[in-house]
Amino acid sequence: MRLNQENLTMKTRFLLAFVLFSSLLLGGCASKDVVDSSAEGAVIEPGAELVEDERDPYESFNRKVYSFNNQVDTYVAKPVSDAYLWVTPTLVQTGIANFFSNLKEINVVINDTLQGKFKQGAEDTGRFAVNSTIGLLGIFDVATELGLEKNEEDFAQTLAVWGVPQGSYLVLPFIGPTTSRGIPGSVFDTAANPTTYVGFPVQLVSMLNTRANAEGALNFIDEAALDPYVFTRESFLQHRKFLITDGESEATDDALDLESEFYEDDELLETESENVIETTTQKTEPESKKNSDDVEELNAVSDYEQSKAELEKATLEYRAVSKELEAVQQ
Amino acid sequence: MIIKIEKIQHLMGFFLILFTVSLVQAEEQKTRMVTEQAMPETARQVVEQFQSVLLDVMKQGQALGFQGRFDKLAPAITQSHDLTKIARIAVGREWKKLADDQQQELVDQFIKMSISAYAYNFKAYDNELFEFVSQEETARGGIIIHSIFKIPDDKDVKFDYMMKKKGDSWKIINVIANGVSDLALRRSEYTSMLKRQGFEALIAKIIEKTENYAK
Repeated sequence: MRLNQENLTMKTRFLLAFVLFSSLLLGGCASKDVVDSSAEGAVIEPGAELVEDERDPYESFNRKVYSFNNQVDTYVAKPVSDAYLWVTPTLVQTGIANFFSNLKEINVVINDTLQGKFKQGAEDTGRFAVNSTIGLLGIFDVATELGLEKNEEDFAQTLAVWGVPQGSYLVLPFIGPTTSRGIPGSVFDTAANPTTYVGFPVQLVSMLNTRANAEGALNFIDEAALDPYVFTRESFLQHRKFLITDGESEATDDALDLESEFYEDDELLETESENVIETTTQKTEPESKKNSDDVEELNAVSDYEQSKAELEKATLEYRAVSKELEAVQQ
Repeated sequence: MIIKIEKIQHLMGFFLILFTVSLVQAEEQKTRMVTEQAMPETARQVVEQFQSVLLDVMKQGQALGFQGRFDKLAPAITQSHDLTKIARIAVGREWKKLADDQQQELVDQFIKMSISAYAYNFKAYDNELFEFVSQEETARGGIIIHSIFKIPDDKDVKFDYMMKKKGDSWKIINVIANGVSDLALRRSEYTSMLKRQGFEALIAKIIEKTENYAK
């Protein structure tokens, strides 16, 4: 997560300039202070008052693009999409959604392979074959019925698996949330999608389909978000992480960090209540008694956890090696 | 020109379900729970009892109406979640900067909004199913209950409940849906709002959301 600053490579700078330029062109919503603040964002150290989230150093700029996109959505995309949803029977909508989803399957297979997930690649190839034939060019998702679940893979995930850092969060005009890593990802995905190479009418339907599918989710954001910009950013970044790890069941570091705060807060309350001399017995939770001994202890705990994990890894490796040795000896 | 929201499209599908959480396996357990109201023992039981109430509310969703759902859910949510602590962690370091009455107001409004959000989102039942998958212990001594929300004709949604022991019982301190942590989401929002617009604006927004849910 601390990559933003180092990660301002030439490419990112170039992209930023490009984004800035396009927003000037398209939106007319960029003003002088946009340029200033986004340029500052690169210099300001994390923790400084202006940078609220180190993953989002260009927040003030991103927010402007975000509200520009919202305007476009409110006045253009949503009305057209609503009309589409009103005119088209649900069955047809599903068929159209399946059709475009099936075309994306090619990209999924490519990225399965690039990530070394060969078994999943074979299954997804099967999905594409079945749906393209029996499923009548993908209009019916027969494969899912047959137990071949749909997988979500794209080139941005592949880049992550290859170790390319996430980079900064960016909101692009007309496109929406992405990251520095997501941009080359999208370029690749677009190139690997047959829809890119067909005529405009098909692309238009594809866009309609995309917007229409997002309808429920966008409504949900409207209902639930106190700050839709932050809500979108947070869920986007978290969900991308989830996709990259294919939803592995272990808890993420972020979730565990949050969990830790609950315990630290307990300890803090404990210390506070100790400081309040001889007041009536404060409500203290039994498990928080064990270490009220401040920050050092906490650091020691996390160090310990880290070394424990490393030890476990080493043990596994050792076991593997000794097994091989045994095999060789025999 | 039309917005291409492809990037967020996928993650958004399940937003709908982020609050449309959970259901439970055993019917008997549900009925037993309603009659007995016994204190659940294990972390898993806490989660499953909460889920069974949700399932119940969904099934009777239309008949109950918003207020009916709210009244049914309120005890189930407050008993199974440590909402006071969640509210506190959700504002992070800003908590300490708040006056006592502000802290109290935040907690009160937060609890009201949380229950309203559930009551609003859990209004209908479509044969959804909730399945226990596994349980994981954290280094801190907490427990994570991994479960799956099964929706007919749709992809499964993973629901992870982070549990922390409080006194004798286990409480839910965070819900993670398909990798999106509810608490992390709130925390980003709340701390950002506090910094940018201040406490009054945050409370006003929370109240606005609560009112919209009830409409």
